[in-house]
Amino acid sequence: MATTPKLRLARPLPELVAGSPVEFEELFARYGQYVAKLASRMLGTGDAEVDDIVQDVFWIASRRLPQIADMIQARGWLATVTTRVVRRRLRRRQFRKLFHASPYRADVPAPGATPEQRALLARLYEILGSLPTEQRLAWSLRYLEGEPLDAVAAACGCSLATAKRRVSAAKKVIDEVFGDE
Amino acid sequence: MSESEVFAMKDEMWAGLGEKVEPDWVPERKWAVRAAIARRAVRRRVMVRTALVTASAGMIAVGGIALVTWRSFVAPSVAPSVAGLSSEPRTAPRAAAPITGGDEEEPKAPGETVIVTQLSPDTQLAPLPNRDGRGFALRAGGARFAVPHDSSRPFVVTAGDVLIEDLGTTFTVRYVGAAADQLNIAVEEGRVRVRGGDTDTEVSAGSTLQVPVSRVALSRVGKGAHRSQRSGGVVASSWRPLAEGGQYDEAQRMLRKAGPSAVQDDTADLLLAADAARLSGHPAEAVPYLERVLRGHGSDPRAGLAAFTLGRVLLDELGRPREASEAFARARSSGGPLAEDALAREVEAASRAGDVAHSRELALLYQRLYPNGRRSRAVARFGKVD
Repeated sequence: MATTPKLRLARPLPELVAGSPVEFEELFARYGQYVAKLASRMLGTGDAEVDDIVQDVFWIASRRLPQIADMIQARGWLATVTTRVVRRRLRRRQFRKLFHASPYRADVPAPGATPEQRALLARLYEILGSLPTEQRLAWSLRYLEGEPLDAVAAACGCSLATAKRRVSAAKKVIDEVFGDE
Repeated sequence: MSESEVFAMKDEMWAGLGEKVEPDWVPERKWAVRAAIARRAVRRRVMVRTALVTASAGMIAVGGIALVTWRSFVAPSVAPSVAGLSSEPRTAPRAAAPITGGDEEEPKAPGETVIVTQLSPDTQLAPLPNRDGRGFALRAGGARFAVPHDSSRPFVVTAGDVLIEDLGTTFTVRYVGAAADQLNIAVEEGRVRVRGGDTDTEVSAGSTLQVPVSRVALSRVGKGAHRSQRSGGVVASSWRPLAEGGQYDEAQRMLRKAGPSAVQDDTADLLLAADAARLSGHPAEAVPYLERVLRGHGSDPRAGLAAFTLGRVLLDELGRPREASEAFARARSSGGPLAEDALAREVEAASRAGDVAHSRELALLYQRLYPNGRRSRAVARFGKVD
C-alpha cells in the first residue's frame, strides 16, 4: 500500500501572482483567517488568545511590510511569525503552570467534529501540552497543519534535520499514547 | 496490515482531525482585531512623537548648557595679552573683547592673571606705566576687571580723578551719564576701594557705587597715592552719633560719604559701622567691618559677637551659608552666652550649605552639650536627628 501521506500543501491563492505588491489591508483580508486557524491548531484553543495572536502577528506585519517580497511569500512569512508568537504564548503557559495546581484544559474549537473526534482532540492537546514547546510546534505544523518538513523548518527557524528530529520525537510519544486507537 | 500502513493511517487521521480544528472567524471578530491593530498604531505614533519631542527638548537643553559652559570656560583663554596694548589710549576693536593683563614673555600662573574685558566699542583703556600690568587708566567707555589680590602690588584703575584699588576682586568700571560725568563701579566678587572727589569708601560684592568723576586724570598713582586729606573731618565723624541714635540710614549715608577712614580701627567703632550698614539695609557693606574686627581684634571679648553677627549677615542676608558656618564656628569658639545659639545656627548653616554629614555631627554635639537647649527642635530639624 502506498505510504504517501495525503497532506494539504501550502499553496498561494490562485489569483495571486509573484511580485504583487503587499498592502496591509489586503494582507489582513486574505490571511487573517489563515493566521487564526494556524494559531488555533498550534494552541488548541479558539478563544480570545487566538485574537491576541492574530493582532500581534499583523501588528508585526504592519511594521515590516517592506520585508515581505510579495503576497505569495507573505503566507510563509506569516506562518513563521505566527509560530514565534505562539511559541511565546506556550512558554508563558508553561511558566504559569508552575504556579497553578490544575492543569490547562484545552477547549478545542472543532465545530464539524463528532463527539469521539472531540474527545480524541482533547486528549491529543493534553499530550501535546506535556511535550517540549519546540517538539509540539513542529509536530502540529507537520501533522495538524499538513506543512512539508522544509516549511516546518522555516517556520520553526531551525534546520531541516532539527525539524525532522523534533517531529520524530513528538511523534514517538504520541504514537505510544495512541498506539491502540 | 504492515506497521508502515498503520502509521500512514494515523498520519491521515491527524490530518483529518487538524482540519476539524477551526476557530469561528466571523466578520465581527475580524474587524475587532483590525480595530485593535489600528488603535495600537495610533498609540505607537503618539508614543514616538512624545519620545521625539522629549528627546529634542532634552538635546536642546543639553546643547544650551554645553554652549553656555563652553563659552564661559573658553572666553578667558582666548583673550589676547595686554602686552599688545600700547601705553597710548586706544579704542577697543569690539565690545566685550577680553584682554588679559600679564607679561607675555614671562607668563604668570593662572591665579595671577588679570583679566580685563572691554565692555563697549568706545572703551579707551591704557596700561599705567611702571605698574607691571597691575594698573590701567580708563579714559572712556567701560571695562570689567577680574583681579587676584596682591597686597604687595595693589591693582588700580584710574578714571579721571577717581582711583579704584582692588582688594581681591572682580569689578566693572564704566562711565555713565549723558556727559559721562559719573563713574559706575559694580563689584561682583571681593571688595574694591574707591577714592575720588568726596568719596573714599570700600565697595563689597554685590554692591554698586556711582560717583561723580572729573576728566582731570590723577597725576600720580601708587601705593601711597591717596588723595590728600579732605576737608571732610566733620563728615567723617558725623556718622557716629547718628548710628548711636538709631538713625542708621542717615549714618550709612554719611559713612559712605566719609569713606572707610571715618571708621576707627577699634572694635566698638567697627561694630557700630557694621550696625549702620546692615540696619540700613546694606548687609554686604557690614561684612568688611565685621571681618576687620575678627582679623585685627580677635582677642577682644566682643569678637564673638562680631563673629555671630557676621554669621547672621552671611546666612540670613547674603545667602552665603558656607562662610556663615565658619563665622558661627568662630563665635562658638569664643564661648560665652552666644555659644549655644552659635552652635545651633552653625547646624543650620551647614545644612543649608548642603554639608549634611557636618550638620548632623554638629546637631549631635548640640544635643550632647545642651540636652534641654531652647533651639533643640530647630537643631534636630536641620541636623536631621530624631
